[in-house]
Amino acid sequence: MTNLYQSILLILPEIVVSSVLIILVLSDLIFHKDKRVIPFIAGLGIIVTGAFVINQFGITGFAFQTSSQTVRNYGMMAIDSFGVFFKLIVTASSLLILFFSHASNEIQKTKDRLGEYYALIFGMILGMFFMISATDMILIYLSMEMMSLSSYVLAGFTKLRDRSSEASLKYLIYGAVSSGLMLFGISIVYGMTGSTNLYVINSLIQAPQINLFALSFAIVLIFAGIGYKISSAPFHFWTPDVYEGAPITITAFLSVASKAAGFALLIRFIKTTFVSYIDSNGSWTLINVFDWKPILIGISILTMTLGNFSALWQDNLKRMLAYSSIAHAGYLLLGLVVFSNQGLIAILIYFIVYLLMNLGAFLIVMLVANKTGSEEIDDYNGLGYTSPLLAVSFAIFLISLTGLPPTAGFIGKLYLFIALVDAKMIFVAVIALLNSVVSLYYYIRVLKHMYLVKPTESTATVVPSLNNRILVLALAAPVLIFGIYFAPIVDLAKNCLVILGL
Amino acid sequence: MSSVPMEYYLILSAFMFIVGVTGVLIRRNAIVVFMCIELMLNSANLSLVTFSSYLGNPIGQIFVFFVMTVAAAEAAVGLAIIIAIFRNKLTVNIDEINIFKW
Amino acid sequence: MLTDFGKILIFIILAIVFVIITLLISKLIRPNRPTFEKQKVYECGENPEGSPWVKFNIRFYVVALIFIIFDVEVVLLFPWALIYKEYGIYGFAVGLIFLLILGLGMAYEWRKGDLEWARPQPKPPKLSDILNRNSETLNSN
Repeated sequence: MTNLYQSILLILPEIVVSSVLIILVLSDLIFHKDKRVIPFIAGLGIIVTGAFVINQFGITGFAFQTSSQTVRNYGMMAIDSFGVFFKLIVTASSLLILFFSHASNEIQKTKDRLGEYYALIFGMILGMFFMISATDMILIYLSMEMMSLSSYVLAGFTKLRDRSSEASLKYLIYGAVSSGLMLFGISIVYGMTGSTNLYVINSLIQAPQINLFALSFAIVLIFAGIGYKISSAPFHFWTPDVYEGAPITITAFLSVASKAAGFALLIRFIKTTFVSYIDSNGSWTLINVFDWKPILIGISILTMTLGNFSALWQDNLKRMLAYSSIAHAGYLLLGLVVFSNQGLIAILIYFIVYLLMNLGAFLIVMLVANKTGSEEIDDYNGLGYTSPLLAVSFAIFLISLTGLPPTAGFIGKLYLFIALVDAKMIFVAVIALLNSVVSLYYYIRVLKHMYLVKPTESTATVVPSLNNRILVLALAAPVLIFGIYFAPIVDLAKNCLVILGL
Repeated sequence: MSSVPMEYYLILSAFMFIVGVTGVLIRRNAIVVFMCIELMLNSANLSLVTFSSYLGNPIGQIFVFFVMTVAAAEAAVGLAIIIAIFRNKLTVNIDEINIFKW
Repeated sequence: MLTDFGKILIFIILAIVFVIITLLISKLIRPNRPTFEKQKVYECGENPEGSPWVKFNIRFYVVALIFIIFDVEVVLLFPWALIYKEYGIYGFAVGLIFLLILGLGMAYEWRKGDLEWARPQPKPPKLSDILNRNSETLNSN
């Protein structure tokens, strides 16, 4: 009994999110006519959630311990600082997305369905929170579905547009297939070990009688499910279409928060299930059942190369950013393939930076699209002369996405490359570097359109409102500041390494 | 009563899974694709129940409850999206739903 | 040596063979004189009109979707019903919260009007519409 009450105390942020979700649905019913109050409830909910998440800093423990018949007694969820970090990333991006939604014409036009929109966003947040701390296959599957189902609906939220519902259908079909594959993999793992708990599985797969072929097959299937969420290479086909078709706010949310949750799940899955020993240097020793290293290296190289090269000839900026976010998933996977705490720090730093620069880029695209109604690159011709603030901040975000100094993107890439070089994977580092050079082409191309092409009469003069200007600056300034003074984010990342386990 | 060997269930489950995956890959009607996805989920359910019964622990059966619920929710969302796309395009053929190109 | 499932297999085979044999025999000995009337879909009664592949009202789908959600959620109540007494007030509260959320979903659908059966809303044609339409046809001619 006490176990249950303690567990409830450990999942307070999740409880807050679900209560806000319920309150949002209720207030959608109560304020049937006038929906103006709903965004404020949502914003308040996010802030309260953030407070509870920060409050969890330093607390560790297992929630909902299952009394299994096996040796150890672990729970359904692990509360640790690694989880808190990713929950903060999700909370911060959700807060920004709420501001974006307030500024987006596309969303504000759907007046009567605004309540649904915010409720579904909270559904996604709830799913992500559980994904981040899940240590049991049942919870992993359920939370992924919770997030996916909400995001399928959100991707097709502006349902009067053809492309929005098409994006939604594609997302749904790819997502359902990959979750089906993952479920089959989970069922095989369950059959081999008799448990769905990652910690128990970790101790059981070291036994010699495990059939390695079947286990590898199951792991590949499970990776299909997670790889789809982080849009890594063989499972990335949905990404450009969905990102282009979905409302921009949702695209930005999917590209940051959903990817963060997917990465948290992947890292926790690999670390709790396959790591047998962590030495004093912080490098992980994997259980010798599945050769993660070459597979992950292959996948990450494939992911970033495909993403970068497909982005080269995109004329739609949303689609270009979609391919660039695929490429960034590849870079982030590089932090995982070194299998050390150093790589983990690099991933965490990269996520902070990625949150700022990617959301910033999407914000600019959204503000321009608010005015012009299109995301084609030709509409940005001469934007540098007509709307200097937006163009300069866009340039900052794009340079940061390329990874050039003095922006924060450079710091993110720097730590990744240092981790790679320290792990003596120079070859991979060189490939990643070449990829960054390729990506320079398509990011700079936008700058060329903004500054080197003279404005035509079709060039929009975008004068953002005061709120939006503050929002743009609030994203652009940290990108520059963290590019020079990056000690705080490094410290934060170093403090967030605890993944409960061995 | 002598029992059916576990392999039989697993073979049936694998067969259902393969039928589901093949269906997703080759069928062009969105609703049929959905039925194939349900088949995949149900094949996983079958193997979960089988393992649960042969291992003698209830986790698998609990899992199946949740999978059934999720499958129903997924079907509901999927059908709603298909209806939305049908209203726009008057077709549910996946080949004709192709605004997006490389 | 037959196992129990072997007996069932034999039973199934016998059933199939029996059906096939009876159908074959009746096919062999019955007279076969097809006429136009006999080959219709419904040999007696109404003539079929139009295609059988009509579209259903979209409301059927909505009601079916709502039904399937609530139908399947009940599955989660079975394990709870078996053990909630062991957990006392806590177990009861968990189930109660679950049911309350389900009820909220029901209320949401009710309030959004998805449970309303589509009532035909007769729109009497306005005089202006008719005049416009007539003038359009005149113009097009």
